[in-house]
Amino acid sequence: MRLILAIIVCKLLRFVGGLVGKGSSLPGQFALKVCPDVLGRVRLPAHIIAVTGSNGKTSTVEMIAAILAADGRRVVYNKEGSNQIEGVATLILSNCSLGGRVKGDVLLLESDERYARHTFRYFHPTHFVITNLYRDQLTRNGHPEWVYDAIRPAIFPETTLVLNADDPLVSCFARDHEPDKVKWFGLEQCDLSTKEHHGVYHDGARCPVCKGRMEYSCYHYAHIGHYTCPSCGHRRHETEFAVTNLDLGEGTLTINGETRISLAFKSIYNVYNILAAWSACALVGVAPSVMAGVINNYMLKNGRMLTFTLGAHRGTLLTSKHENSVAYDTNLAYIAAMDRPCTVLVIVDSISRKYFTGETSWLWDIDFDRLDAPHIGKVMLYGKYCNDLAVRFKYSRVPADRIEVGESIATAAESLRESGEEDVYVVTCFSDRDKLLALTQKD
Amino acid sequence: MELTMLHLYPDCMSLYGEYANIAVLRRHLEVLGVSVTVETALFEDTPDFERADFLYMGAGTERTQKAALTALLPHREGLKAAIDRGAVLLFTGNAMELLGASVTDGAGKVWPGLGFADFTTQELDRRAPEDVIAHTALWDEGVVGFMNKCSVTRGVETSLFDRLSLGFGNEKEGGPEGYVSGNVLATHITGPVLVKNPAFTDFLVRRLFEVKGWETPEMLPVLPYEREAYEVTLRELTARIGKKQES
Ligand SMILES: [Zn+2]
Repeated sequence: MRLILAIIVCKLLRFVGGLVGKGSSLPGQFALKVCPDVLGRVRLPAHIIAVTGSNGKTSTVEMIAAILAADGRRVVYNKEGSNQIEGVATLILSNCSLGGRVKGDVLLLESDERYARHTFRYFHPTHFVITNLYRDQLTRNGHPEWVYDAIRPAIFPETTLVLNADDPLVSCFARDHEPDKVKWFGLEQCDLSTKEHHGVYHDGARCPVCKGRMEYSCYHYAHIGHYTCPSCGHRRHETEFAVTNLDLGEGTLTINGETRISLAFKSIYNVYNILAAWSACALVGVAPSVMAGVINNYMLKNGRMLTFTLGAHRGTLLTSKHENSVAYDTNLAYIAAMDRPCTVLVIVDSISRKYFTGETSWLWDIDFDRLDAPHIGKVMLYGKYCNDLAVRFKYSRVPADRIEVGESIATAAESLRESGEEDVYVVTCFSDRDKLLALTQKD
Repeated sequence: MELTMLHLYPDCMSLYGEYANIAVLRRHLEVLGVSVTVETALFEDTPDFERADFLYMGAGTERTQKAALTALLPHREGLKAAIDRGAVLLFTGNAMELLGASVTDGAGKVWPGLGFADFTTQELDRRAPEDVIAHTALWDEGVVGFMNKCSVTRGVETSLFDRLSLGFGNEKEGGPEGYVSGNVLATHITGPVLVKNPAFTDFLVRRLFEVKGWETPEMLPVLPYEREAYEVTLRELTARIGKKQES
């Protein structure tokens, strides 16, 4: 009886919420009050796929949804991104019949890495995809091992883990899991792999199990690569799903030596998102040809890269979360790989949307040396925290005479509008993005 | 004028850009004509404490911190000798906890510390990420920073900061924070605390000049943008005092 009541409450609030355009977690929140274990009482689809990790959750989930839909499956998934238990409850109950059966073939969930254990208390995923764990919003998340410890209670023996073999910390999830219930994906050594580690810090320097010195035969980016710990034997596993050939310049990759894919977005992240999505879909029985067809025609719509016009400049805006140095480094690498003369504008105006903190440690984790390239002329440092940026750049290889510092974003836009015609790359975060875009002509 | 810094475990006790503390202190000394050598020690090494004028360790994950403690304990006497002859030591973040009598981890295991002070640390199952404004009797200006700790430290008798106008101290909100005894300084403020606080850097520069027996210049160099960055952060954090509960 409570089950039906909870479902009705959720559907009603969802309907009302739809009328007034209110958030998606409230109906679930009320339903959970009516029936706290409601998620354990509904009849869920045969396949429940959850995706978590520091980066790429949303993109991976969207790709999985597109592939499953192309395969003719009915997918219930949290496209609104409310990935805590209340949002998940809203999603599940609004797709429930009054008899308590979820109407779909697959339940697909993007799961917040900090709250997964609450979400999965009353039901367990059949497949749990974990993409990567690295420094990401330390002000909120603590550190990668803390996040690892938070995810662990959300893992149950019957769940098949789908893990990134190239991440030494993610690999630890397999340590006390039935080996048959762990499936690995990873990238083989390829042209972009390096012998040496690149970046300001190295979170793979020490083995996550025994803290001995880790050895890498190659790095793909940050601490992602092929590793072995000589002290305890923790090492990269052989993969079921592998990118066996990758040409980022050309924008192609090959999966398991068989299927060639064209990349809509030439980034190493996208490679891993594709791999994660491929693995999950293959495990629920989608054929390679179906997956390849979807990925080949896949358009990324996350808005991390936007183009604009400012005076005579052609501009590209590269967005990442502040406090996520890996994403930042990827954007800097993108600029460094260009060859036309350009100016780079870095904006740090508000640091954390959530905490409004003055915390700028993360600036020291970013590899700004990448901007020491012949085609990069001026580097403009703007926003409220321009001085913190300026101090940071004094310890980079970028020559001081290329650097311009100022607080006002409007002034930066004005000076660009008035002179020059070189390409402009703007590096900033989602919350500061519109402060500049508002002053330009968007494409 | 020559000076040697020893950076302990920089490959992993460096969770929040702590290497910048060494870089900034070094540059301030170099501007004054000091020739600075930075040595590093990893877990597998025997640290060369004899030559060190300045010793530094930053924050790590809780598990890495225990590994650092395990690595450092066999070399306790060497470290003690360096402290006794007046070397300046700065441990930031959870490296501070190692100086005390013990750290009790989340599972209840007690890890005996270096025992240079009597304080004890208890780890918690939650983190307190917070902005900090801290005040010390050792120099005039407030110190700005950020803390991300999951522990309380009890029994500190001589704290580095008497009071916090923002943030969580050793064991309570606004309470005393850090530890100081002679030239041994420690704070749970994470990351590049010296970068953000030129007055803290100047204090260490003066201490190091005293230890070396060099004549301290009356005016210390002001490096571009550092003061401006400090002022902005102080202004922003001051505006947050009292608002935090509301948010
Ligand atoms: Zn190991």
